Amino acid sequence: MYDVVIIGGGPGGVAAGIYAARKKMKSVLITDSFGGQSLNSAGIENWIGTTNLSGYDLAKNLEAHLRAQKDIEIIDNDLVVGVTKKPDGTFTVTTREGKTLETKYILIASGSRRKRLGVPGEDQFDGKGVVFCTTCDAPLFDGKTTAVVGGGNSALESVIDLIAYSPKIYLIVRSDVLRGDPITQEKVKSHPQVQILWNTVVQEIKGDKFVNAIRYKDTKSGDEKVLAVDGVFVEVGLLPNSDFVKGIVDMDDYGHIKVDHRTEETSCSGIWAVGDVSDVLYQQNNISVGDGVKAILNIYDKVKKG
Amino acid sequence: MAKVTIYSTPTCVYCKMAKEFFAKNNVAYEEHDVASDAKAREEMVSKSHQLGVPVIDIDNQIIIGFDQRNIEKALGLGK
Repeated sequence: MYDVVIIGGGPGGVAAGIYAARKKMKSVLITDSFGGQSLNSAGIENWIGTTNLSGYDLAKNLEAHLRAQKDIEIIDNDLVVGVTKKPDGTFTVTTREGKTLETKYILIASGSRRKRLGVPGEDQFDGKGVVFCTTCDAPLFDGKTTAVVGGGNSALESVIDLIAYSPKIYLIVRSDVLRGDPITQEKVKSHPQVQILWNTVVQEIKGDKFVNAIRYKDTKSGDEKVLAVDGVFVEVGLLPNSDFVKGIVDMDDYGHIKVDHRTEETSCSGIWAVGDVSDVLYQQNNISVGDGVKAILNIYDKVKKG
Repeated sequence: MAKVTIYSTPTCVYCKMAKEFFAKNNVAYEEHDVASDAKAREEMVSKSHQLGVPVIDIDNQIIIGFDQRNIEKALGLGK
């Protein structure tokens, strides 16, 4: 029987893991991989204490710091798929690889994943012109026409990454405003290679072997149009990874786990949640770290009381 | 020894992770940067029918992405 099972290897989970180990709680951290969603970021400039580091280096640092602790077990390359509460108030946690763990408390720091468009052609052409990692794959669209879907920071950064390669970039925006940093917005709006299509929604991704067009709807006029593109970069936001506790803890309409922001405990006694999977107001690496520490200290208080 | 080729871009973290995995397991590999090498890019696309990196060729078996389980299988690295 563990004191605590920590779910997730991003900043929130790792922070909690380090504190749990230092408090000598009987703990285990389960994660598919380390680093969280910043992994793909080319440069992080707001990680406090480091002027600039890549998402990859942040992930390596987090993993190394956790692995330096003696008093925590680490299960990686695995994923939690189920949680059940037993009549005595303790929990059973099951993983994709078939592990079953018994624990008194659970800390969920499973983050979020990219939202998809959910239109025909998106799955079929995934990796064949449909791109979910711009920093990885932008160079493959050298000389090609591309479309970026989304209106937030990640969409704007995707456009910036593509400018070096793609001579014509359409930015497909659902509303008539951009979100995201004003400086990046200006850069995108004023760039001669970029054309913004306002009030447009992608209906279908078309192609043969590879993507060759999108069909979209102008929501103001109701007109549908087909636009020839070689690449579609999907940057439409995030979905919390909370499916495995559906029905056990209260969530908001988007699937974020509701927590008491003083302690990070959820509506289910014995389960805490931190970071992007929770209903935290600001989704930031630094905040996830602080909330992870807050939660594990609160759990430690309960463990001490027995 | 299996012949291993990785097609990568300098900005792709999954490519870095794959290369680190090879290094850790003493697997020799050849690398092509498809961001700067247009010929390698064409070769990758024709082999894999993919517009995404990494693409890893292990003795003509094509693996898309840093798919550790399938890479281990292709290399015969038992767990």
